[in-house]
Amino acid sequence: MNQPAILPLELFDGHSARPQPVQAWVEAGTLRLRTAEGQVLSYPLRRVRWPERQRHGQRQAQLPDGAVLSAVDASAWDDWARASGIADSMTVRWMQSWRLVTAAMLLLVLSLAAGWRWGIPWSAGAVVALLPAEAEQQIGSQAMQSFDTRWFKPSALAPSRQQAIAADFAALLSAGGRPTPAYQLHFRSAGKELGPNALALPGGHIVLTDALAELLADQPDALAGVLAHELGHVQQRHGLRMVVQAGLLASMAGLVVGDFSAVLVGIPTVLGQQAYSRKFEREADAYARELLRSGARSPTAMLVFFERIESYKKDHSAPTLPIALASHPANEERKRFFGAAP
Amino acid sequence: MNEQLSIAEPQGSAAGPRELHIEFSASGSEYFRIWIVNLLLIIVTLGLYLPFAKARRLSYFYSNTLVDGQALAFHGNPWKMFRGFVLLAVLMLVYGVSGQISPTAGVAAFLILAAVWPALWRAGLQFRLANTSWRGLRFAFTGDLRQAYLAMLPAYLPAAVIVVVSLLNGEALESKSFTPAQGLIGAATLLIMLLSPWTLSLSKRYQQSHYALAGQHSRFGVGTGAFYLLMLKFTLFLIGYALLAGAVLAGVYFLLQAPLLMPPLALLAYLGLFALVGPFLTVAMQNMVWRGTSSAGLRFDSQLRLRAFAWLNLKNWLLTALTLGLYRPFAVVHANRMRLEAVSLRVNGDIDAWVARKSAEHQDASGDAAGDFFGIDMGF
Repeated sequence: MNQPAILPLELFDGHSARPQPVQAWVEAGTLRLRTAEGQVLSYPLRRVRWPERQRHGQRQAQLPDGAVLSAVDASAWDDWARASGIADSMTVRWMQSWRLVTAAMLLLVLSLAAGWRWGIPWSAGAVVALLPAEAEQQIGSQAMQSFDTRWFKPSALAPSRQQAIAADFAALLSAGGRPTPAYQLHFRSAGKELGPNALALPGGHIVLTDALAELLADQPDALAGVLAHELGHVQQRHGLRMVVQAGLLASMAGLVVGDFSAVLVGIPTVLGQQAYSRKFEREADAYARELLRSGARSPTAMLVFFERIESYKKDHSAPTLPIALASHPANEERKRFFGAAP
Repeated sequence: MNEQLSIAEPQGSAAGPRELHIEFSASGSEYFRIWIVNLLLIIVTLGLYLPFAKARRLSYFYSNTLVDGQALAFHGNPWKMFRGFVLLAVLMLVYGVSGQISPTAGVAAFLILAAVWPALWRAGLQFRLANTSWRGLRFAFTGDLRQAYLAMLPAYLPAAVIVVVSLLNGEALESKSFTPAQGLIGAATLLIMLLSPWTLSLSKRYQQSHYALAGQHSRFGVGTGAFYLLMLKFTLFLIGYALLAGAVLAGVYFLLQAPLLMPPLALLAYLGLFALVGPFLTVAMQNMVWRGTSSAGLRFDSQLRLRAFAWLNLKNWLLTALTLGLYRPFAVVHANRMRLEAVSLRVNGDIDAWVARKSAEHQDASGDAAGDFFGIDMGF
């Protein structure tokens, strides 16, 4: 058998700051250190905490008795460690190779993309499915209360008009003859910020603003279609899923650039979130189209809604956001979706 | 790089005071490789690898932090850090979720978190210090639990008022007319701002006056007044910056009549906030805190320069944004190097004669039982 490789090192015994020169070698699964006085210390290899090989920095092995074995000359240590049969861990070999690091970078991008595309929506769905119905009710009524104090005033629509809209929507649902989720329809008056609008909150709350009811006063089918779209959000529990997805997305972005800058975390979070939102809108559109068809009403009724909303926005010079920042798909796309129906 | 280093040979106790320099020998490209692999492992384990990644990062940074030619060593056991990580993650998750479900649950979670936070803070300091060694000697953190609570109390009380009032009285806050709840919150916010230099000085003093290595126990000689002065300077600096940025923007808008220039200029002003205003505080705080820290045989100094650090920060920020985050490990290494190498120590007497604290050798080497069991490491 070959002579073991011997390396001169410094030993700090954990009690004194004074280094002791030692000769180190490995034999029979044991690290042996010979001190200047000729004493030999032995440590089983697996109880020594070995340093990870890097290009820079010093090497220090931590010994089980609290002592530290230190090498200022890192490359001499690395040669000695290799000759002594102390292998690098897989992670270290990986980090030392630019080729493998490039592969890791590609894998990282792929897993981030897959997490965004499938992982986060799937886990959000699972979390929301686990949430008890009472909790969803609680969250929904809290959100409704907060909207009421912040944005809404009581509706100015005549009670008969409210009843007519509610009855027409109920008729559409029963005509379809399929089970639909429980919902509560609220009529509210809202300021300019919301304008003609309808929204769905967790717990089955659907809100219709007076402005939208007036905008579509002569178009009951379009109004029913808009409410059906909101019911689509309720049926798929989009509100809660969105909250969870946004949280998970922010955590993912935080893992990558987190402790550097909160602003940098915000950018991918907002972009990713709006893409999720557009996907939900498409799903709700599909649900509305199904309901309109099964209730024997033409989905093209929705075209009037989009046209009127567009001209309303033009009249009130509401800005149109670039698509990456918008929460809804482009109107052109949505019109094609409803107009393509026979 | 390492070849240039030689161990400082003991110069004997007769040599008088000696200057110890700090060198940070990490490289951006090497940390980049560590970072990418760590990040991939974190993502595929859904975050569970975080404490292991942290242990590797700290080991790398420590083995590249040479104090007088001898590197620091990190002894933290990643499995213990994993326990602490799970504990903290559960706490934060419960806190985040409970506020969504009901206001009362939110208040209860906040009170629990507030009650344990100073203890966690201390446990984190104990864990980090007890697992750091230089020349084989372990550091220790000697602050006690009571002092940790006292140091945080003045910041806590007004913050507790804000959280409890806003969680229990959400509607009153959102109403447009003035309500007592709004008044209470406004007063508490003002109090927090006025007290912030004091609360900052309390927490810095708690940290800086309880470090120990061998027979050396740190002292902190910076009074509360100095913190008020520093924050006053910072506020004036911030106001000056805002006035200057506002004047430039207004000048471009009204004199040059160039509204198209506005968005890029506003962005520039915003970037300047990170590049200049943030570093102002970092630099002033680091210099003040470390110049005020000493022990019987040691005196710290810190000569971090604002101009150099602000410039580095701007460069780091821009390159990180341009490379979609890929420059971040380089930025971290460069900023750490500048901050660490600005610090130096003046030592009286012979370091070789330093010995581990007798009474503490066993207890402190393993840290406080709870802190050590959970391996809480929150980072500084």
